[in-house]
Amino acid sequence: MALINVAAREIHCKIVYYGPGMCGKTTNLQYIHSQVPKDVKGDLLSIATETERTLFFDFLPLDLGKVRGFQTRFHLYTVPGQVLYERTRVAVLNGSDGVVFVADSNKNKMQENVNSLKELAQNVTRQNKKFAEFPIVIQYNKRDLPREVLASVQTMDHFLGVTKMNWPRVEAVATTGTGVFETLRAISRAVISKL
Amino acid sequence: MDPQLTSIIVPTEELGQIEECLVRLVEDTGSDYALLLDKSGQVICSKGDGDRQDITALGALIAGVFASSREVAKLLRERDFRASFQQGVRENIFIALIEEQWILCIIFNKGTHIGLVKVLTKKATDELASVLERVRQQHKARDEVLGSSFRTSMEDTIDLLFRD
Ligand SMILES: Nc1nc2c(ncn2[C@@H]2O[C@H](COP(=O)(O)OP(=O)(O)OP(=O)(O)O)[C@@H](O)[C@H]2O)c(=O)[nH]1
Ligand SMILES: [Mg+2]
Repeated sequence: MALINVAAREIHCKIVYYGPGMCGKTTNLQYIHSQVPKDVKGDLLSIATETERTLFFDFLPLDLGKVRGFQTRFHLYTVPGQVLYERTRVAVLNGSDGVVFVADSNKNKMQENVNSLKELAQNVTRQNKKFAEFPIVIQYNKRDLPREVLASVQTMDHFLGVTKMNWPRVEAVATTGTGVFETLRAISRAVISKL
Repeated sequence: MDPQLTSIIVPTEELGQIEECLVRLVEDTGSDYALLLDKSGQVICSKGDGDRQDITALGALIAGVFASSREVAKLLRERDFRASFQQGVRENIFIALIEEQWILCIIFNKGTHIGLVKVLTKKATDELASVLERVRQQHKARDEVLGSSFRTSMEDTIDLLFRD
């Protein structure tokens, strides 16, 4: 849930990027960090293994400035996607206001995508939140993959059950930035609508 | 709407009480810093000597560390895991949970005894728990706080800042 500090006139929202290992969560935050104006972003904090896999989380604070007199801050996090870190994901997800679920468009990653989304549903529910009402945006990342391994959007919709959940869905190539801001706008709007 | 999704609103009066409580805790223990965090890692209030530039990152890390040690506790089937202590060479950190919602964090050096910190933190968490209770009780409409046009302005800001 978002935090509204009336005396300090501040609003804080926490957004978490969730998804299977290597799907491109960290790359999303790196791109955002490289593009937003200096006065908006804080330092990107990454706690990673030597091989650049996320070990704990990445953290990027964004300061949107004053909106109707309220200093508004969005804190973006990524979880570590590797199966091993299930409990760490629970910890990072704690207190989040919305989730970007990053799915890997590689045909061979469909089962991993599905497992990760199921786990997310479980973890959200365990935090006493209704999954169906929880703000979620789906990103189909790596749309630049060669045709042989690229899953069609219809296939992914089918596997992930996206259409029946009514989640906004964005196609992306996080390495070049395509769709990254569209995703961020969509989740920000979804979170704001629940404030 | 799902009550878990609605915002926590900290009103001016309650923030004043939180500030007082943290100032007293820092003075009485001789600590360097006291921080009150939301469980999401956001800093609600901080008191101590000087401005820390790194306070936002500190909040995110401490909340993360605390949330993961609670997961460890669950795996150990430890039910009441409400505080943790980290000992450094110069600085120590004591962290205590308030009603599953807030995290109180005290940073102190070797001039302060951990026993004193524990006792006074216990007192402070009780006090803060009743503040939190009042924060939860108040049913002020969000629109009253934010103004009805807030959402539209927010959407405009999002579109302006988050673009390629
Ligand atoms: N082709 C392609 N590669 C991508 C894309 N996005 C990310 N990658 C690559 O995928 C690899 C993993 O990206 P990360 O962002 O580290 O993945 P992650 O989801 O943070 O992984 P974990 O931290 O282990 O959970 C890197 O080599 C990226 O360069 C994309 O859109 N297209
Ligand atoms: Mg990562």
